[in-house]
Amino acid sequence: MIINKKENIMKNIRIIALFIFAMHLYGCQDDFLSPAPNSAISADAFYTNDIELEAGVVNLYDGIQGINSTVTSDLHGIQIEYQVTEMRSDNTRTKSGEGEAAQFESYTVEATNGVVADYYASFYNIIFRANTILANLENASESKAAQFEGEAKFVRAYAYFNLVRLFGDIPLATEVIAPTDEVTAFTRVATSKVYELIVSDFNTAIDNLDNSYKNRASKAAAQGLLAKVHLTIGNYTIAQELLEEIITSNEFSLETNFKDIFYSEGNDETIFAIGYAADNSNDSQNFSAEWLNSVGRSSGLNYVTSDVRAAFATYGGTMRSEYSFRLDAAQTTQYQVVKYLPNGDEVLGIDPTSGDPTLAGNDWIILRYSDVLLMHVEAILAGRDGPITNSDALASFQAVRNRAGLTTLVASISKQDLADERRVELAFENHRLFDLIRLGLAESVLGAFATANGFSFTANDLLLPIPQREINLSKGALSQNPGYN
Amino acid sequence: MKNILLLSKDHQKHIFVMMLMVLNVMIITPVFAQDIKISGVVNSEDNEPLPGVTIIVQGTTAGTVTDINGNYVLEVPTDAILDFSFIGYLKQSIGVNGRTTIDLTMEPDIEQLDEVVVIGYGTQKKSHLTGAISKVDNKNIDQIPTSRADQAMVGRVAGMNVQNSNPEGVGGAPTIQIRGVGSITGGSGPLLVIDGVAVDSEFWTNIDMNDVASIEVLKDAASAAIFGSRGANGVVMITTKTGESGKTKFAYNGFYGWQDVQNNPDYNTSVADGMAAERAANGELSPRSRYKELIGVDNNWQDIIFDGGNTQSHTISARGGNESTTFSTAMTYAHDEGVLLTDDFKKYNLKAKIDTKVNDDLSFGVSLNPSYTERRRFDGSTHDILRQTPWLPVYHDENTIQYVDRTVYPDVEVGDYALQRHFDNYDLDGDGTLIDISNTSNTNPAAKVLERDRRDFQFKLFGKFYTKYKLSDNFSIQAALSGDLQNTERQRWQGVESSRNGASGASLAVNNENKVHVVTQGFLNYNQTFGSHEFSATTGVVAERYKEKYSNVSGTGYEFDFVPTLDAAAEASAWGSFEREKRLLSFIARVNYSFSDKYLASISFRRDGSSVFGPDNKYGNFPAVSVGWRISEESFLAGSSVINNLKLRASFGITGNDQISTGNRLNDWYSPTALLSSRTAVVGGSTATAFNPQNIANPELGWERSIEFNPAIDFGFLDNIISGSVDYYKRTSDDLLLNVDVSGVTGFNNALVNIGEVTNEGVEIELRTNNIRTKKFRWTTTFLASRNKNTLTDFANSDGLIQSVDEKRAAEWISSVGHPISSFYGYVVDSEIPLEYLNDAYHPIGGQAQDVYVRDLNGDGVIDDGDKTILGSPYPDFIWSVTNTFTLGDFDLSFMFQGSHGAEVRNMGDQYLYNHFNSSQDFDPAITPDQEFIREKIFTNSIVQDASYIALRNLNLGYNFPSRLTSKIGMTSARLYVSGSNLMYIKGDNYTGFNPESLTTTSPTTYGYQRAGAPIARSIVTGVIIEF
Repeated sequence: MIINKKENIMKNIRIIALFIFAMHLYGCQDDFLSPAPNSAISADAFYTNDIELEAGVVNLYDGIQGINSTVTSDLHGIQIEYQVTEMRSDNTRTKSGEGEAAQFESYTVEATNGVVADYYASFYNIIFRANTILANLENASESKAAQFEGEAKFVRAYAYFNLVRLFGDIPLATEVIAPTDEVTAFTRVATSKVYELIVSDFNTAIDNLDNSYKNRASKAAAQGLLAKVHLTIGNYTIAQELLEEIITSNEFSLETNFKDIFYSEGNDETIFAIGYAADNSNDSQNFSAEWLNSVGRSSGLNYVTSDVRAAFATYGGTMRSEYSFRLDAAQTTQYQVVKYLPNGDEVLGIDPTSGDPTLAGNDWIILRYSDVLLMHVEAILAGRDGPITNSDALASFQAVRNRAGLTTLVASISKQDLADERRVELAFENHRLFDLIRLGLAESVLGAFATANGFSFTANDLLLPIPQREINLSKGALSQNPGYN
Repeated sequence: MKNILLLSKDHQKHIFVMMLMVLNVMIITPVFAQDIKISGVVNSEDNEPLPGVTIIVQGTTAGTVTDINGNYVLEVPTDAILDFSFIGYLKQSIGVNGRTTIDLTMEPDIEQLDEVVVIGYGTQKKSHLTGAISKVDNKNIDQIPTSRADQAMVGRVAGMNVQNSNPEGVGGAPTIQIRGVGSITGGSGPLLVIDGVAVDSEFWTNIDMNDVASIEVLKDAASAAIFGSRGANGVVMITTKTGESGKTKFAYNGFYGWQDVQNNPDYNTSVADGMAAERAANGELSPRSRYKELIGVDNNWQDIIFDGGNTQSHTISARGGNESTTFSTAMTYAHDEGVLLTDDFKKYNLKAKIDTKVNDDLSFGVSLNPSYTERRRFDGSTHDILRQTPWLPVYHDENTIQYVDRTVYPDVEVGDYALQRHFDNYDLDGDGTLIDISNTSNTNPAAKVLERDRRDFQFKLFGKFYTKYKLSDNFSIQAALSGDLQNTERQRWQGVESSRNGASGASLAVNNENKVHVVTQGFLNYNQTFGSHEFSATTGVVAERYKEKYSNVSGTGYEFDFVPTLDAAAEASAWGSFEREKRLLSFIARVNYSFSDKYLASISFRRDGSSVFGPDNKYGNFPAVSVGWRISEESFLAGSSVINNLKLRASFGITGNDQISTGNRLNDWYSPTALLSSRTAVVGGSTATAFNPQNIANPELGWERSIEFNPAIDFGFLDNIISGSVDYYKRTSDDLLLNVDVSGVTGFNNALVNIGEVTNEGVEIELRTNNIRTKKFRWTTTFLASRNKNTLTDFANSDGLIQSVDEKRAAEWISSVGHPISSFYGYVVDSEIPLEYLNDAYHPIGGQAQDVYVRDLNGDGVIDDGDKTILGSPYPDFIWSVTNTFTLGDFDLSFMFQGSHGAEVRNMGDQYLYNHFNSSQDFDPAITPDQEFIREKIFTNSIVQDASYIALRNLNLGYNFPSRLTSKIGMTSARLYVSGSNLMYIKGDNYTGFNPESLTTTSPTTYGYQRAGAPIARSIVTGVIIEF
């Protein structure tokens, strides 16, 4: 009996020992709990050589391109820019005057507006992508480092230039910041400081880049955008020098046919454009569809105002009018933008760019040569009302008019002449609001436009509200722009 | 030894080691006394067969339950002592003494509650339970006409809230919460465990209620801690039926019935009512309104979209076996047509379970449960479909065709879908004035539903292989390999006529999901009794591997509707694929102890390692301890005629949560690292590869933890005429996993962190009464109620976090310490804007202003953020159910009322169904006073509505044919029943939507968002159960 019990105990101990041994087998697998992701790369070990950095640089343009979706939490990048720029000018409006998008045309933008939050987040995301490249530049080969730095700084400057013009004083992240860095995220830096970075970044881009690309940053694109920066902050002489460098490089020219600027991609007039590919949800855009009658998600955005049609009638000429807007076939009291049509127009001889209009392939032009020529005039005008008769200015101005078929010689140019010409030449390309502000005409022109349309406009409406989301997150640390609550 | 648990060479080696171990033990283990098979009949005191009597071999947890005729069969050692027990009857202990037949008459007494309850990785006598575990009685649940087993759980367990929240029609998952929301990651539903193995919650659709032996819900942390990392939201354990040796028993349970919905008068519009209101106010109709009347159509779109449908279910089972091997098989076909236009759910389910004893010591078994479901969703949302106007016909007829604007729509014919735009530009008075009446460019609402086809084809398989080996009298070893597999193909076809864009809007999207979850587990069990000391202990290892693959392709460019295949597409417009893997490794130990059946204690420990956390935080420890005192077993209460059962128990435990749900499934399983996903951008006229950062890395990311204290009392009075329990609990969850909003300046809008602390505190009552208990008539009542208070007690830097669900409709939620995790936030309505200030108050029909005057709460004369306040809580604070069961001779009737109170929802449906968007409903800025006090309704409490309800959840009336009749036709039993669901449903007064339970899936910090919801189905079926 005693022996039996002892045996039993010994056996039990053996059982337990075996089991502990078995458990140990499981426990010693350290890497069992660290499966590697197969469908993505861990960022820790990336950006180590030129090839990887190149993929990161391409990603900068993916950021500007934005996501083609109707998911409100996605970052849509430049695809929604027309709402916060053109639709706040006297050029366009919603077709129906309904919904959140109508806040822009009626100068009743709310701090909770989702498009404003989308644009803000999109462009800081672009800045983050650029800062990521800059943080890893030491891993680039000597031959590529300058190009990567130039492209990253170009993109960062471009993003800040848009943000500072739309929001005024803004948070300034010059490197990748952690969520815990609330000081950077919630401190509004004076516009002059932001412009210092923009100027410096564009100058680096000019030094480091050449003109190899149209869908990527180039020297000429940096020169042109930097010139616009200098026009904005009043450095007209520097602006003129930059623009004349582009003009004298002879690398760009005006397209003979106004239509071809938009429907013959990669043309000589285009200096910098964001590329899109049709019928491919990863690389297409949907703003073209939103501008039509109930083809996109909305019932129709960026519809043409009667005000801009009147301007076309007076200053635009037939060719530019024809390829800038058309009658809406479905609602014959309304007019649509013709630049960037996704589904073509048989009458105008424009072929569809995609099978599904919401997956449009039309590139978005950020800078083209006629903009450069008109900026050249603006630099020479140097903030004066004019008229001026400077022959260089007249030559640039006349070139743009000639291409539009308006060959009557212009003898002098006033600021108003320039504003009118820019309006019809660059209509619906997101320039009008910034032009009016830069030329000091915004308050008078938009004030009159608002009154005529039953809206109430004040100078406060020239800046967008800081998104309520950011104000909420900062718990009051971020101040709101005047006129918003 | 990498990847040891895969079916790789390493794995084979591992199995080999395990087999060696088993062999080794077999050699050293002596053979024990031979088991014999024993059977018999158990009758009640009045000689009626007594089904459900538990028979346990004393000193073990082995046992069985008598069937409907009181029969039982059991294999026991020749010298075993059997404990027979049943609620309301005295427990009897009978020595087998070599007999093979023991018939028994139970004597009524109510001292014993010795049911066996399934607990995590084991079983326990109910009388010895020290945690909060509710056992669900499967009586008649298999007769409830629901398409999913989880929907039948409504009102079954105190503290378990089941909401019919899915907006896409039949087959959609409800929202389940046990004891409130402790987690804020999105994964706040309980863990589902089938036959001891944790499975994905999708497997609720694999469960056939006919095949369920018992359902146990582990509510407190001490009970759930044995599931460690996944126990924080409670655990639902389902045990399926096992065959019994003896004659093979066949059974059929089938029902067929019909269902519909009650129309919602709040969202009913009609041309007649609209015109009447306008005439009453203005004395005449505007030209637009006269035109609407002229068209002569007055549709109620609810009647068209809520089309009702049939529902049916058929199950055949066969169970039986011989002395060494038993089997249980079942097959189910169910078809539920849903109550919405096009929604449909078909299910084919198969189950086979075999258990065999090789000898007295070694047994093994295998269980396989494949199922195939086909679900057609209601592709759309009620808010979108039903907002259209009553004057619009579905199709054009000879009358309506005459109003079509032929300039814009020259090709529209009779029989085509009618669009609102067709009716624009009509010269009503022949004076050349053209009238527009459309308020949307959308296609016909019926076309939106009928011309789309969205289906989920899902194949699921649950399989388990186990072996048990009895090492000695005290030790046994158990090893199991199990797996669950899900293969889902989702297809979404949008036909040529489904959108206003015609052929260019047609598309087919195909998504494939392939999920495999493999579990290997090994356990060592120990049972020992020394005098009055009873020990049972369990220790083991569980390793789990989840591997999931996803892919999708979309095609566009369809000219025709004929062939909705990818081949017919002109373009592939979107594509993608990814896979992810997650692993868990767990070490488990538990000791249960009882002294003299009076003093009870349980201690458990689980250490979990999860691959989803950072290198230094992979492991979490989850201990639990619980104690109990059965006062009724003390000598001073022995023989008391008043108190027949009284137990005090208290538990304390820690559970964890590793469910991360940020919306990016790839990142969720690799959150400590920053991931770069592959993208493309168009540069230089062609697409080039880009790599884009997806998330902000958080290498510190670790376990979310819940600590729960749960004192309780179980009682039975007056021969169990009144019995039940009261539980108090307080659960504190901290280090919550939150995908917190961060400034966009970081480049991201969210970052995953461990943050904050939330408590759920509450009381649960379960009360069962035997009101009348005579030979012919019985009436019992079950009352379940729970109160829960959810409080955010710490939110670090994020205290006061304001979030919104949809940037376009940015209604706000606040997470503020001292309040629930999320509260509705915004302005308080002061008054409606008088109709005379609106542009056109009577267009569109049923339209309402989108704006409202709000209150200047802080009295500073301006409306700004300072005037926002908390507008309500999305969490119910009181849920309850009352079930009454009557038995009169061969008839029985039971019905359950169930209710929920104290929650609100933010019903964005108002904005759509009342046409808030329409500019006709805007105020005229030229004449409207006090415009600075006007805000959009969606930012106010105007759409924060009472989500309370009281429902007659189910009703079951049955007739059991007497055995003298059934035996003549070879049946052992036959039952005929009528079963109904939601025959009565009362909503809160100010709730305007279709379903107060409906929820759009959002984060717990923006909980309680809905867009009118899909209505609750009201169904009635008749069924039959036959056994032979």
